[in-house]
Amino acid sequence: MFYLVLVALVAGFSLAQSEGGTTIERRVFEIAGKLRCPICVSESVAASSSQIAITMREEIQEQLEAGLSESQILAGFQASYGDWVLLEPPRRGVHLLVWLLPVAAGAAGLVLLIGFMRRWTRAAAEVPAASEAELERVREALDGDVDSE
Amino acid sequence: MAVVIAALGLLFLFGLRRGSPDRIITSNMLGQPVPAIELPVHSNLLTQYGSTFSLPADAAGRPVIINFWAEWCEPCRVEAPLLQDIWEAYGDEVLVLGVQTLDRGRQAAGRSFINEFGLTFPNVFDGDSRSGRAYGLFGVPETFFVNADGTLHEKHAGILTAELLERAVGALLN
Amino acid sequence: MEVTSLGYVGSAAVFIALALALYGLVAGLLGVHRQDARMQTSARYSAVAVFVAMTVAVIVMQVALLTDDFSVSYVAKTSRIASPVWVKVVTMWAALEGSILLWGWLLTGYTALLAVVAPNTTLRPWALVIMQGIQIFFIGVTSIVANPFTVLPFPPLDGPGPNPLLQNHWMMAVHPVLMYLGFVGLAVPFAYAMAALITRRPGVDWMTQTRRWTLAGWLFLTAAIIAGGWWSYEVLGWGGFWAWDPVENVSFLPWLTATAFIHSVQVQERRRMLKSWNVMLVTLTFALTIFGTFLTRSGVVSSVHAFGDGPVGPVFLGFFLVSLAFAFTLIALRWDQVRDTAELDSPVSREGAFLLGNILFLALTFAVLLGTIFPLIVEAISNERVTVGAPFFDQVSVPAFLLIFLLMGIGPLLPWRRAEEQTLRNNLLWLTGMALVFALVAWLFGMNRPYPLITVAVAGWNLASLGLLLAGALVPRVRLSGRGAAAVIRTYIYENRRRFGSMVTHFGIVIIAVGVMAASAYRVDEQARLNLNEPYAFQGYELTAVSLFQESAVGEASSGAVVEVSRGGRLITTLRPHMKQYEGQEMIVPTPGVLYTTWHDIYLNIAGSTEPSQPFVILHLVQSPLVTWIWIGGFILVLGTGYALMPGRAGHRIRAGADKNVVRV
Repeated sequence: MFYLVLVALVAGFSLAQSEGGTTIERRVFEIAGKLRCPICVSESVAASSSQIAITMREEIQEQLEAGLSESQILAGFQASYGDWVLLEPPRRGVHLLVWLLPVAAGAAGLVLLIGFMRRWTRAAAEVPAASEAELERVREALDGDVDSE
Repeated sequence: MAVVIAALGLLFLFGLRRGSPDRIITSNMLGQPVPAIELPVHSNLLTQYGSTFSLPADAAGRPVIINFWAEWCEPCRVEAPLLQDIWEAYGDEVLVLGVQTLDRGRQAAGRSFINEFGLTFPNVFDGDSRSGRAYGLFGVPETFFVNADGTLHEKHAGILTAELLERAVGALLN
Repeated sequence: MEVTSLGYVGSAAVFIALALALYGLVAGLLGVHRQDARMQTSARYSAVAVFVAMTVAVIVMQVALLTDDFSVSYVAKTSRIASPVWVKVVTMWAALEGSILLWGWLLTGYTALLAVVAPNTTLRPWALVIMQGIQIFFIGVTSIVANPFTVLPFPPLDGPGPNPLLQNHWMMAVHPVLMYLGFVGLAVPFAYAMAALITRRPGVDWMTQTRRWTLAGWLFLTAAIIAGGWWSYEVLGWGGFWAWDPVENVSFLPWLTATAFIHSVQVQERRRMLKSWNVMLVTLTFALTIFGTFLTRSGVVSSVHAFGDGPVGPVFLGFFLVSLAFAFTLIALRWDQVRDTAELDSPVSREGAFLLGNILFLALTFAVLLGTIFPLIVEAISNERVTVGAPFFDQVSVPAFLLIFLLMGIGPLLPWRRAEEQTLRNNLLWLTGMALVFALVAWLFGMNRPYPLITVAVAGWNLASLGLLLAGALVPRVRLSGRGAAAVIRTYIYENRRRFGSMVTHFGIVIIAVGVMAASAYRVDEQARLNLNEPYAFQGYELTAVSLFQESAVGEASSGAVVEVSRGGRLITTLRPHMKQYEGQEMIVPTPGVLYTTWHDIYLNIAGSTEPSQPFVILHLVQSPLVTWIWIGGFILVLGTGYALMPGRAGHRIRAGADKNVVRV
């Protein structure tokens, strides 16, 4: 019952899903979301209501209608403003670091984790070998216990 | 671990020394041809310059000082007289062009600005800020010094000074 | 305006607090060094006295603000006569100096609370000493570096008022306070961890004694971040709630490590493992809170939230580096006692899941930290200017979170030590089955993008997990106790606050995750020109701009549009998106008009001029599905954690009656 309710919720959400704005409109905001508003402190062109942002969104719309691709549009803005205007650093040169280092860190973490886990699992699995004298003591103690019962 | 702490410390000391990240970002267009401009002239200057002013056409082979300004911009008010002085001194050899931008719908304010400072060099109205955008504007005022061949010599973001203008004009004319 | 004595009184209060704190530190050190109980008690009393002194300072500041006393420099810089009373109250933390005063005050409150309430253990004196040290720093900054009480010999007649974005929404009264409570709260487990190292007791004591403090600090921080998102949504006008802005990121970093921490302490409590890891993790959490405040107040990165640069930056940087150095030196000195001599029976166990979760959280922390400071690094190396914005952080965080959510589902179902194969397989069957069902239903209704589908699947996975957990706990109890199901459920909830609270919290997170996914992936933006009195179709609604308006009230002016929102011809509501300007401030702030429904929000923001004579208005229209689920999920989360924090009836289970033969799950 509980699950049916949940399924219905999901379905309801899906129905309420957007019918989609005009494709070009959505793409305008998608692309604008990858550009940084030049005169704002730290906003994307999609988010900002400043004059430059509105102008840039108009330009993106025109360029999309003229058939330019996303990379061409982004390159156009890059020509005026440099790499700074892209909200995602270009994947070349020293900028690759920001992409690779997190992956490397995650991988390193996993490797370390597996290493530690192996070591800890081995430690738990080892049964320390008992010496003969110790075994003798154990036997005597057990026999003693049995007798005294 | 000590290395990490030291490295972080150095990095942030550097960050502190250089101050807030500002918009004094070097132009990406240095040495390259600047975008063309074709914009309506402000009505108080129509008789001198016609209804539209174009670059590079109306530069007539001269180097150009393009100054982007807005009516609400305080530093622009300080540097307007300086630009007028340059225009009066070097007008035949160097073109001074004022572009009112980031001021959608405010031509009237622009006209009063021009009248207030008695500007006689051409001033155009960039209503939808497209020219400003094309030039990579991060704000106003920004001034672009363009060589006679149409390539960008230098960009100055922020307020101008008389010395800076003199030096730039000297560089443009050589 | 005359110069009153308020500034002097305030400064005096802060300096007295500083002196008392220094005394408390010395007394505490002497007390613990010489095992002198009287000295220690004196140190505890001084902690309370410090709090009293800082409270006086806060009251003085409030009085100065409320009486418009512009001879106090902070009031002159930040307040305005025409502001409403509530704005004046919150102006205390609207700018740099005041916010440090607030932080310091809350810190002294926590320290005093610790001094009074914490059980008398070997750790307490040292923990108190550490807290005193931290508060000496903050009070020191307030009194010496950034004193809000400086007296102006020629007070101005009026001030500019706080930043417009900080006075047009009531959240300003809530979010910063919650945030600071969170940050400060996380200093307590750090202090105890350091105390544990100093006293050579790096076992579980320091964690069990601070369990509630840690959870409370985490709760405040989580609530603060969600509140901040809501505030951002209602105030910034772009229809979003999280922009990966540097200041947002630095509040997120300690949250990530704190979340990892509250889970990995359980491994230490149960299995006596991860001692060094936990100490380092709590140190990292504390260090990140200091780092966050450094970044926010130093002007090193550009952010819509950053406020102030100046002498405060280097001071915070210094404290950040010093605390890190201090903590890690201590760890190094006590390494032999802290190093992990761990035994793990099987990686497929609760411990294993927590460990993997920790790695994921830490990897994400690293990625977000790197992204935030990367522009600075690049500039330092090659003087190039580059931006790392939302697209990067989204690409990095979404996979990490999805993996974490997967663990969140399977983790609680795994037993400690070793998972038994058959049970594990059954559980996985349920989880996978539900995940697939959810994904299938979503797909049938048109969802076809990978990340949203995976998110829905993971939501199903987690809901199945919660169902299994509850069923596994309740079904045997119902069977064995013979009482009605309702009574059993009530008793279970009542007796297992920690467990049930965590289930509710995780449920809240699932809701938030689905809300975030929908609001981000299925958001529709449009920039539309609405001609007056002509309906504009948007996502099944008709929007009609009826008129443009301009209004003014005391000290503020707004201009915007009246928009009627209808669906199928029936008027649902009238929204009034507008732009507001406060007297004395140039910045114009947007106030969007929002229609909240369960399934989506219709969000309108002005995107052009609103001259009354215009026959049209340009609006930015946004439809965000399930945004409200984020706030609802956050509320559920707060309830769950709050419940887990409540003192439980731990003794109840031990008092086993004849028919209370409950199976402990």
